[in-house]
Amino acid sequence: MSVPLSQMWTVATYVLKQRLRRNRRYPLVLMLEPLFRCNLACAGCGKIQYPGHILRKHLTVEQCLAAVEECGAPMVSIPGGEPLMYPEIGPLVAELVKRRKYVYLCTNAILLKQKLEAGLFTPSKYLSFSVHMDGLREEHDEAVCREGVYDQAIEGIREALRRGFRVTTNTTLFDGASAIRMQMFFDEMMELGVEGMMLSPGYSYSKAPDQEHFLRRQKTHELFSKMLSNPKKGWKFNQSPLFLQFLMGKWDFECTPWGNPTYNIFGWQRPCYLLQEGYATTFKELMETTRWEGYGHKSGNEKCKDCMVHCGYEPTAVHHAFTSWKGFKATVEATLTGRL
Amino acid sequence: MSDERTLEASLAEVVEHAFDYRGDVTVVRRDGAELVGYLFNRDADAATPFVQLFAASGGDPVTIPYADIRAIRFTGRDTAAGNSYAAWLRSREAARAAGSARGA
Repeated sequence: MSVPLSQMWTVATYVLKQRLRRNRRYPLVLMLEPLFRCNLACAGCGKIQYPGHILRKHLTVEQCLAAVEECGAPMVSIPGGEPLMYPEIGPLVAELVKRRKYVYLCTNAILLKQKLEAGLFTPSKYLSFSVHMDGLREEHDEAVCREGVYDQAIEGIREALRRGFRVTTNTTLFDGASAIRMQMFFDEMMELGVEGMMLSPGYSYSKAPDQEHFLRRQKTHELFSKMLSNPKKGWKFNQSPLFLQFLMGKWDFECTPWGNPTYNIFGWQRPCYLLQEGYATTFKELMETTRWEGYGHKSGNEKCKDCMVHCGYEPTAVHHAFTSWKGFKATVEATLTGRL
Repeated sequence: MSDERTLEASLAEVVEHAFDYRGDVTVVRRDGAELVGYLFNRDADAATPFVQLFAASGGDPVTIPYADIRAIRFTGRDTAAGNSYAAWLRSREAARAAGSARGA
C-alpha cells in the first residue's frame, strides 16, 4: 500500500479521536465539487447532466473553505466536473494545503500539463493529483468516449511527476472489464511512476448515458478476485487494503454514507456522493436530519443494492482498520506483505 | 417542448418529478407569475414545504413555498435523456470501418 505515513498517522489519530469522543458518525473525506462543468462526457458518469446555466455556475473559494471548516474532515477530494476548469483552483488548493488538508484533486488530466506549466500549483505532501484512468488506452478512451485522452493523461502524469508532485490514479471498473488487461494496466501505471492506484466499481447512476455496463455485486467479487488475488509486489494501491478485500468478497461491510459528505453549488447533498435525494443548508443539518437508516446494502433500498463504491465503503474499511483488532491485523499484514 | 404537468396530480408528485428532472422547468405561481429555472431541491416535510430553484436568468437560489405553486411545466430539454454514449459508439464504429476500408 502506498499511503504516506504522515497521512496514515493523520487519519488514524482523527479516527481514534472520534472514537474517544464517542462520535458514531463522522466524515473522513469531504467531496468538494466546485463545479459540474467538464471537458468530457463519460459513458458511466451521471454528474454533469444539467442545463447550461447550472454548468456555468461554480462555488467561490470562500464557500469552499467554509464547507471545509464546517465539515472538519482531514482529507478533501475535489472532483466535479473537471476541477482544472474551475477558475480558482490554484488559490483553492493553496488554501487547503495551508490548512494541512490532504487534497486529492481528481482530474482527467487533459489540462494538467498546461496548468502545471502556468505555475498554478506547488508540490506538497498534502497535494495529490488523482488522475482518472479507466484502463489501458483502448478501455480508457472508450470509457471517456473520446480518442486520444489516454495519451493526454499520460503526458499530464509525466509532467506532474517530473515536477515533483504526488500523483495517483483513480479507476472505475464496469461490467466487461478484463482482469488480465487491468493487470497490464497496473504494470503500466507503476512503470510510469505513480505513487499508487485507487480502484472502485462504478455506481449505476440513473442519469448516466450508458446504463448497461454497471457491475453487480457478484460480478464485482469475481472481477476483483481475479485481478487482485495474486498481486505483484510492485503494485501499490492508495487506499485501504480492507476495502480492496471487501471488493474481493472477503469482508461483509455495510455502507457509511456520511463518510464522504458532498458539497456543491446546491448545498450539502443527501445522503451521499452518489445519490441526490435533496440538499441541506449546513453540514450539521445534513448529519442530524438525514434518515441514514434508509441507505446501505442492508437497508433494502434498491438504489443501494449493488453499490460497492469507495465513497461509501472505504470509510467503513478505514474505521474497521483502526477500531478492531481483526481489521488492524489484516491491514498491517496486507501493508507489510502486499498480499490481499 | 411543453410537457405540462399541472396540479391535477398531487403537488408532491409533480414536485418529485421536477426534482428528478435534469432540465429547466417553469413554475407558475398562484398570482400568475412564472419562474424558469432548474429545480434542485425540495422539502415536503418542512414546517412550510418548499422548492428551491436556480433561475435560468441567474442569481442566488429562489425558494418557493408549495402553497404558492399553481403548476409546474417541464419546459427545458432533459439533459440526461441524451444519447451521447450511443452517438460515441456509432462514431467509433464509423471511424473503425473507415480505417479498415483504407487498410484494405
